[in-house]
Amino acid sequence: MATTSATLTLASADMLTDNLSFTTTSVLTTAGTATGLSNTTGLARKTTSASTKYTLFYADDYTANKAHKLYFRNTETTSTLYFTITVGTVDVGRVYANDWALIPWSASDGTKEVATLTIGGTWTTSDTLAFDGVTVTAGSGTAATATAMRAALYPNWTASGSGNDCIFTAKRARADLEVNAEQFTITDAASGDASITVATTTEGLDNAANIYITSSTSASHTLEYMLLYE
Amino acid sequence: MATTTAALTITSSDLVGDALSLSTSNTLQKAGSTDGLDQTTGITRAYLTSTAAIDLFPALVEGSLAFTGKSNWVYICNKSEDATEYALITIGGINVGRLYGGDFLWMPWSMVETANADNHHGDIELAPSVDTGMWFEWTCINEGTEWHAADLAIV
Repeated sequence: MATTSATLTLASADMLTDNLSFTTTSVLTTAGTATGLSNTTGLARKTTSASTKYTLFYADDYTANKAHKLYFRNTETTSTLYFTITVGTVDVGRVYANDWALIPWSASDGTKEVATLTIGGTWTTSDTLAFDGVTVTAGSGTAATATAMRAALYPNWTASGSGNDCIFTAKRARADLEVNAEQFTITDAASGDASITVATTTEGLDNAANIYITSSTSASHTLEYMLLYE
Repeated sequence: MATTTAALTITSSDLVGDALSLSTSNTLQKAGSTDGLDQTTGITRAYLTSTAAIDLFPALVEGSLAFTGKSNWVYICNKSEDATEYALITIGGINVGRLYGGDFLWMPWSMVETANADNHHGDIELAPSVDTGMWFEWTCINEGTEWHAADLAIV
């Protein structure tokens, strides 16, 4: 178990009549326990060269509703340069030159596209079925072919199901993933009647609480960041 | 012009093979300038006994010139000593994260205006996980405060 401490000190001698001076320390632990956070992305830097939105972390890659912590620091020294920090669809705020932030992150999942592929017709081991850049050799018959499709690993999808079905679930919540029969390529070397049907059961949405950054400038601009997660 | 500094250290001798010892400090300045932030809500200490979400800074006008695109900083600390008790922090209906017992956050805040401005959708909301009583501290240090007019009807 790792022990990681974060200490914040706020101080001002002239903002108020009385001095502002306080320090608080937190030992970063996993949700609801005294066990320390043990995973980190490490301290990293992202240099942007456009004032467009960059995805720093995908919520679907992390367990939701835990005690993740995000650290940011704008490494620039020009006071007008800033990064906008966005969680999901909400712009949380701006970190100007040399500003830093430490925020919790729930990594709330979004709605993932789900589609069911049903294998029909006649399939032999000389046929193939390709999807998402992966070409799968068919089995003897529909159920064996569906089994082969479920066993394959896909870049953007996970596969499950039973019988003649293969249920594809997107790995990330996205609105731009649409699955239909056109995304599948059948190479039917034998019977000529190998067939599939594809039905979308859940429409994916771009609604995960991803972490985005947007630079205020199209010039080179660097953000330092780190995620501590469980 | 006030000079306020916020410093952070993150340390760990066993999180990774090399010791983690991060230290950073900044002077809180107005957006795009070197003038210090000069306004604050003061530090609130509150004992909350309901799990209902509350607005932490309800008097500040959402989307006002004082906020949109400005430099505003928020500190929130869950002072509970029970590791299982947390506060859910949301902004604009988006679940930002959970502060478990002893956790704090230090973050910028834009408080942009939404279509339902009077509903304070850009507000920071805090919802305790239990109704048996939890202590919290929070403050906002900002560069300009625009307050609601008296008797404003909240839709």
